Amino acid sequence: MQELALKGFGEVLKTVTFRVRRYDPEKRELPKYMEYKVPVQMGMTVLDGILYIKEHLDHSVSARYSCRMGICGSCGMIINGKEQLACQTQILELNKDLIKVDPMGNYPIVKDLVPDLSKLFRNHESVKPYIIREEEEPKSEFLQTPEQREEYAMFTDCILCGMCLSACPTNATDELYLGPQSLAQGYRYITDNRDMGFNERLNVLDSKHGVWRCHFSGACSEVCPKGVDPALGVQLLRQLLASNSFVKYKQKEATKGPERKSVSGVS
Amino acid sequence: MMTIENKKGWISWFNPFKYGTDRWMYSLHRLTGIILGLYLIAHVWETSHILDGPITWNSLMVFLDYPFGPHFGPFILSGVLLVAVYHALNGIRLTIVENGLMLPKPYRPEFPYRPKSLKGLNNVLKIMLGVLMIIISAVGIYFIFTGVIL
Repeated sequence: MQELALKGFGEVLKTVTFRVRRYDPEKRELPKYMEYKVPVQMGMTVLDGILYIKEHLDHSVSARYSCRMGICGSCGMIINGKEQLACQTQILELNKDLIKVDPMGNYPIVKDLVPDLSKLFRNHESVKPYIIREEEEPKSEFLQTPEQREEYAMFTDCILCGMCLSACPTNATDELYLGPQSLAQGYRYITDNRDMGFNERLNVLDSKHGVWRCHFSGACSEVCPKGVDPALGVQLLRQLLASNSFVKYKQKEATKGPERKSVSGVS
Repeated sequence: MMTIENKKGWISWFNPFKYGTDRWMYSLHRLTGIILGLYLIAHVWETSHILDGPITWNSLMVFLDYPFGPHFGPFILSGVLLVAVYHALNGIRLTIVENGLMLPKPYRPEFPYRPKSLKGLNNVLKIMLGVLMIIISAVGIYFIFTGVIL
């Protein structure tokens, strides 16, 4: 059984061509494609292929990566025309002899496959992705039932890889669009029953470049490596804001636990 | 050191390849919207000829019916009908789903992550769109070519 599982492991099964888009900011040249031949073993991901190129063929190829297992969200890139995490994409599963690797779209490129994600982080910050309360220092815990958690739990899985903004067709033309990631995070904090900051977020979400620019093409949900389904979050947020203009939305007040002297717990 | 903007631009509206049905329908919606806009401009131009008197009007009508040979006009009109029907029906579907109706409640994502907002009742709406489109365009095209309402 073990021999069967390991059959072909460590052997070179085939050679694929990587067509990587190169851009060097220090040379005043337009981006160009360069091809590399990479021998593929079983289990090799696209990121492994890029690292093979870096190690053996061309040391100047740049890519951003960190954890190699789809947790950190650093290695998002366009592989054969679709946004994917390079560390989660098996070369043999792609089943192609030519693999075209592009940096993510709609972001400035720093070098080769490295996009500048500061726009994503700026937008994320603008929707205030933290729980807002009126009191300075709470005297007790805020209680939450499992059902109340389920209302927003799926949106907490976001790893900020930024691939939804690359796939979004609205973001391709609207520079100031908040993007599915930020809008879904806005929904996540509004529906959290501990949060009281609905009115503070309203001017960002309910703006010209906010939630109403989404046209529900569903591309963000399709490329999301964590299944967060940001398109669903955007539509639910839109429903919430639309009904808010008729009946004022009232955030659920979280019940408070027993009072303590300090929430840090020790005293 | 300088970075370059890597904007996908408006051309990416019409690049639904590698994505799913919703992305295809978005591209078609954009395309049909542009075609309808151009058609409306041409339509206003065409009907404005009625101000030039019956002779100009009638000769234009004959020209538009037979621009490149017999019965080419009805084919163009059928195309416009298909475009308008798709744009209208998909507009209704988008009005429903973009207000968060007929979409699932927040759920737990499970591997291999398939977004549920693009499935379920949204898919039912898409199938209804297809069926209605076939019926309406069949009746309409029959009317355009024969002048008889079924």
